[in-house]
This record gives sequence, C-alpha cells and structure tokens, in this order.
Amino acid sequence: MEESREAEAIRDVLRGNPRAFEMLVRKYERPVYNLMLRTVGNEGHAADLAQEAFLRAYEKLGTFRNGKRFFPWLYAISLNVCRDWLRRQGRDPHVYVEDANRLAEAGAASQQDTLQSRLDGRRMFDAMTKLPLAYREALVMRFREEFSMREIAQALDISVSGAKMRVSRGLDMLRKQFTEASDD
Amino acid sequence: MTDEMQTLLDRRLREAIRHLPEKEPPPDFTARVMTELEPRPASAWARFRMWLSRPIRITVTPARLAPVLVCTVAALLVGGWFGMRSTPHTAPSMHAATLPVTFVLRQSAPEVRSVAVIGSFNDWNADGYEMLYDASGKAWVLRAQLPPGDHEYVFLVNGDRVMPDPGAALTRNDGFGNRNSVLFVNPTNGQTL
Repeated sequence: MEESREAEAIRDVLRGNPRAFEMLVRKYERPVYNLMLRTVGNEGHAADLAQEAFLRAYEKLGTFRNGKRFFPWLYAISLNVCRDWLRRQGRDPHVYVEDANRLAEAGAASQQDTLQSRLDGRRMFDAMTKLPLAYREALVMRFREEFSMREIAQALDISVSGAKMRVSRGLDMLRKQFTEASDD
Repeated sequence: MTDEMQTLLDRRLREAIRHLPEKEPPPDFTARVMTELEPRPASAWARFRMWLSRPIRITVTPARLAPVLVCTVAALLVGGWFGMRSTPHTAPSMHAATLPVTFVLRQSAPEVRSVAVIGSFNDWNADGYEMLYDASGKAWVLRAQLPPGDHEYVFLVNGDRVMPDPGAALTRNDGFGNRNSVLFVNPTNGQTL
C-alpha cells in the first residue's frame, strides 16, 4: 500500500507536479539527514547535504525503475552525495578499509559485561562514525533499515556477495572497536 | 574469543545498530527542499490528457443562442410526436432513479464569494450545482439528486479555484497531480461521504 502511494507520487512528479515530491521528502528526510550527520558530524552541513540528495533524486527521478523500492534507490543517491562531499574534503572514503583477516580476535568472555555497558547509544554512534562510509552504511542498511542484500548491493554498486562481505567486515570492525575499548 | 561469545556479541551489536540514536532533521527541512524544486515539464501525452479533463466554461450570447434554441425546440417537438406514437408508456425518469445527496463545505472565509460542485455527474460543469451559504451553520450547502454509484467531484471556489472536499473520506488521483473527492451513493443506504 505504502509502495503504491510512493509509485503514485513518483508518477505525479513525472507528469509535471513537483508538489507530489513532498510526500517522499517527508517520509525519508530523517534517515537521509542522519546518514549525512554520521558522515559530516555537523547538523548544518548534514541538512545541506540531505537537501542536495533530495534535489539530485528529484532530477534523476526519470531513471527510477517501476517495481523497485524507492528508499534503497534514494539511499544510493544519498551515498553518492556523501562520497562527493568526502572527495571535496580531500578525504578518500576508502582509506580506512582494513583487511578483515587482520582484524584482531580480541576480547574475552569475562569482558562481555563491560562491553554490554559500553554499547549505549552515544558510544555506538561514535563507534559507527569511525567506520568507513561503505562499511558503516552497509551495517545501517542491513540491520536498521532492513534492506535485502540485493538492495545493499545496488545501493553500494557492488555484487551481492560483495554486499555480504561489507556487512561481515563492518561487523568485524565494530567488534574490534568495542573489544579494544573493553581492554582499556 | 569463542564462537559462542562472538555470536552473542554480534547479536548485541546488531541490536545496537537497530537502535542507533537518530536526530530529527530541521523543522523547515521539507519546505527548504520543496522551494528548490524546478517544475518538470509534463510530457505531451500528459498535457493532452490534462486538456481533455479540464472543466470548460462556455459563454453564450443571445445571438448565438437563438438558432440553437430553434433547433432544440424543433427536435423536441419532432421527437415528442414520434415518441407519443411509438411508446405508449414512459421510461422511468432520471429523477426517479436518483437518491438525495447533500454536499457541505464548512467555509466562512470572506474571500469565498461562491462555491459550486463540479464532478463526473455534471460533466464538471457548475451550472445548476451552485451551493448556498448557510450563515447559521457557517457552511456552503447543496442538496442534489444523484444516481447510485461512485462519483468524483471537487468544489469550485469563486469560479476559478478547485479544491477537494475536506470532509470526504476518500479521494482519487485525477492522473495529473490533483485529487478528486469520491462520493459513493448507495441505493440501500443513500449517501456515503
């Protein structure tokens, strides 16, 4: 039902009624804005980038394929806006990539209670922002937004097996951060 | 870390991601985006459909009307004569097959000078479907007779602005970004707004 309303709004926009786009902005402004906030860490810049993402989606709406979910498509566009911003800042979005094989097998059973206490919202947010964009957002798409692996693959422009690897490595990186913190 | 511990930790991490704290976007965010949108030109086909469905206002002058009236009266006379000869009984009238319906628009703004109902039942023509203002109820009201079935309609305000019925339970897209209100006239229960 929701998806048919979205499809209807998209058709209306393509027929020349820009007001129909408002429903899509209202529905997805929060996740897109928070994606930007995780990337830039500044509310003003995050709002500007989120706006840029929606305007880019509006411009490209003619390329949206009927039958697909709009949100993963919008997310892919938003990720591109993030990448462009990182490039403009001179930060390579891939510089943080680590080989999963090198990720430490750190941690111990006795440390789990300490770890649990560290998994509060603020620390989790900080830990997530330390991850490279592609890994962090693969985790968000999978566990928060509940995208399918295929949708994650399309959003990140990689294969389905590549998407599974991103999620797996993202978890590895996150696990490492928390187990190292527990060692402190 | 044992496999069991890792499984437990991963589960907790997934839960933490699911409940990752989020902030609300600025309150004017949607408005900011919407003001930046450039109108997209509709396709030729969409413009054609829009032209077809647009309400048409016809201005009639006495000079134009006279020949039409003469032809209409002549057609009625001829038709009536043949009808009397061939059909001894009359068909049920439109009125007999219709049901009473009341349209109400609660609107007391002084800038609203006239309201009419236009819809699929009157070919989107306001003539004869002008609403009357009920000062006590502060509402524009029209009582009409409509055949059973579902009808799409909108209010025509001041002769040039259309608006869907804010009291309608259901609206339907007209295919061009506007919404028509939908009225179900049920032969057993009458009007369902």
